[in-house]
Amino acid sequence: MASATSDWVTPPKRPELIENLVSGVDRYNPSNVGILEDYLYHQIRSQEYDCLANLAILKLYQFNQDLYNPDVIVNILVKALTSVPFPDFNLSIALLDERLPSANPDEPDPLPTLLPHLTSLHSLLQQCRFPAFWALYRSDELESLRDNYTVEVVGFEDSIRDVAVRAVKAAFQRIGSKRLSSYLDLEGADLEEYVTRIGWRLDSSTGVVELPPNPDNQISSTVVQEDIKLPQLSKVISHAISAA
Amino acid sequence: MSQPRLGLWATEEIDEEIQDVDVNLAINYAQSGLYDDAQSRINEAAIIAVQQQMAQQAAFAQIPDVVKRFIVHFHQAVLENNLSEITAAYESGWNRLTEKYYAKTEWPEAEVIAPLVNDDQLFLILYRELYYRHVYSRLQPDIDDRFHSYENSCELFNYLLNSDGPVPLELPEQWLWDIVDEFIYQFQSFCVWRSKVKTKTDEEILMLSDGAQVWSAYSVLNVLYSLIQKSKIGEYLPAHQQGKSEAELAELVGEYGARPLYRMLGYFSLIGLLRVHVLLGDFTLGLKVIESVELNQKTPFTRVTACHVATYYYVGFCYIMLRRYPDAIRSFVTVLNFILRMRQYHTRSYQYDQINKQADRMYALFAVCNALSPSRLDDNIANIVKDRYGDQFAKMSRGEEGLPAFEELFLYACPKFITANPPPYDDAEQLAVFAEEVPSEPAQRHLALFLSDVRAQAAVPTLRSFLKLYTSLDATKLAGFLDADEEEMVQQMMAVKAASRSVGRVGSEKSLLDGQMIATSDMDFVINENMVHIAESTVGRRFAGWFIRNTEHAQRVLDGLKNNPLPSVPHAVAAPAPEADGKPAHPPQKKVAWGAK
Repeated sequence: MASATSDWVTPPKRPELIENLVSGVDRYNPSNVGILEDYLYHQIRSQEYDCLANLAILKLYQFNQDLYNPDVIVNILVKALTSVPFPDFNLSIALLDERLPSANPDEPDPLPTLLPHLTSLHSLLQQCRFPAFWALYRSDELESLRDNYTVEVVGFEDSIRDVAVRAVKAAFQRIGSKRLSSYLDLEGADLEEYVTRIGWRLDSSTGVVELPPNPDNQISSTVVQEDIKLPQLSKVISHAISAA
Repeated sequence: MSQPRLGLWATEEIDEEIQDVDVNLAINYAQSGLYDDAQSRINEAAIIAVQQQMAQQAAFAQIPDVVKRFIVHFHQAVLENNLSEITAAYESGWNRLTEKYYAKTEWPEAEVIAPLVNDDQLFLILYRELYYRHVYSRLQPDIDDRFHSYENSCELFNYLLNSDGPVPLELPEQWLWDIVDEFIYQFQSFCVWRSKVKTKTDEEILMLSDGAQVWSAYSVLNVLYSLIQKSKIGEYLPAHQQGKSEAELAELVGEYGARPLYRMLGYFSLIGLLRVHVLLGDFTLGLKVIESVELNQKTPFTRVTACHVATYYYVGFCYIMLRRYPDAIRSFVTVLNFILRMRQYHTRSYQYDQINKQADRMYALFAVCNALSPSRLDDNIANIVKDRYGDQFAKMSRGEEGLPAFEELFLYACPKFITANPPPYDDAEQLAVFAEEVPSEPAQRHLALFLSDVRAQAAVPTLRSFLKLYTSLDATKLAGFLDADEEEMVQQMMAVKAASRSVGRVGSEKSLLDGQMIATSDMDFVINENMVHIAESTVGRRFAGWFIRNTEHAQRVLDGLKNNPLPSVPHAVAAPAPEADGKPAHPPQKKVAWGAK
């Protein structure tokens, strides 16, 4: 069986420089924060994602409060949203120590206002309430998040659709296109095109989308029999031998 | 586990050799200094010096003789690197004398006992290590204790790491673990104390603003990483697992890593690092740093029980925060069984209480994980949990309304989280702002994150209990039963599905972060347009564990019987009796066989 985490632990496209930072002691050196931040912006532009490298940025912020850069944090959290059901979002938040409100009134800190919104978005995704996610995401209240952050993240909406696709794929064999449309926030030709691209089949006469079988949407009743491994019996057997 | 040895000083018997030590010598030495000072020009420094010496002299006079003898003996054992004597002094002598003389007060200060040990600086550092540990565990450390214990730890590590080459010191493994463990405990204790702004005096605020480096997260990490690097434990462990020969290993780890002192400190620092990262909320890094550690019970590092238990506790906790509940359960079950097996050896150990407390926390966490991801991994442990946390478990298994129970157990059983940075002690204005709105405690932040994970699964128990009743069911009908909106309900079904999948280590994974997607629930379902199909896996009753345990038990009983001497019955009475009853006596060859074993 394939590892579910190897790409998460070591993304195939992670450069060697970053690998050394993530795995070595140099990750604590504040002067390396720029390299990691540049790498984050590279991820944002090229639809890549490297959770552990981003956590390394937050670690440096945790230890060096003067490095604090709320824009970077928002971007990390936005990227982490796209990895649900993996726990990246909460892992990132766990590293954000409480801090004093910004002393400088000319440079308001956007994080305190955005953080509750991001958290709501995350919990909607976690609960698979995709229509509510899109409604909140497109609401007026979140305009600043869209205009200042997610618009820069190439393929952000598609990455969220991937989250929905993962959940649908596990739970459904066939799904009504109306329902699917509300999950993906896509309609008509866009939906058709998207569905075809990921290899699902839309029957236009019935309006039902058929999903290819995968390990999660095939179910069967089984009786699990007890499995006894030899080492469990080693004491009993060795005793029998020594007693003989 | 060795039997606690009785220390010489603990018995009241008089040992000649120790009696020979002239404890008065030290006083004479101190007095002669006093005399000289009195002769010289009296200035303030001299007066202070005199006062100090008088105080020390008085303090010295206060020390009971048995304690003086103990210190002299302890010093001698350390000088000779006599591990069994050091262990005896460390594990039983110190604790006995603490109970007897220092249950409520400090041990004599290192400066006071210095004359007893010829001013041996290394011994005084080790002595202070014990001195401060006693202050932290039995008394209330004040700011001076906190600063000084930090300085003393730095001196100790400095001596170990920055001498010319490896130092020739040898200490028992247990003590080495305690040194690392205590270092981190004092760091954590300092961080918690430091975050309470309101109770600080002006003098304390001044000291805290000047001494920002004291107990800083960087300095603590620095010590742990230095010990790891110096000992090359990161290279040693994988090579050892590959079965490299002793000679190859020695060459690989160099002059430091070849010495047990450094190797053990290196290993304990890995575990210490795991703990520090967890305290700071970095659960991935925590697991990543102990990548090279093999989690099983066959490595020599399991000899220190406290270390073994701590490792599994922190690993298990990381998995909870990574939402890998099956892995967390496995970690807790493994070590809880270990503790149960070890219990008979530990009831007399001074760490028994601490290990028991940590075990109890793990039972609580096991209950939490089992509510989120029901498993039948171990009936034995599950039964103990039912005993201790049955109420909470029942509540947690009911979804949303169980949140208070999750909260209660999480706060009880979670590590003592800390914040990496101090309040702004160097800035009076900001400090006032800080005191006004004290930020929430780190444990509360992590609790909130954990509860958000729990909340995402809140609908799971109810839906599962309905689904269990059917093999197929229309979604509209199910929504009707639940009195819920159909679309909302279908979305909840996806969440139920997600909750029944988890990343887990199946066995072959190398790293602790690695894992495969596994199904964690015995009830599975799939939605075909609007029809829900349900399939249940049933687990056949498990007999093997019970039979194996009892077979082993029977074998032990049999062995025990065989090894016992035959009951010595007076021959005159016993011998004729069987004959009188007409029963044959035991065949003689059988007696021989018993005797031979």
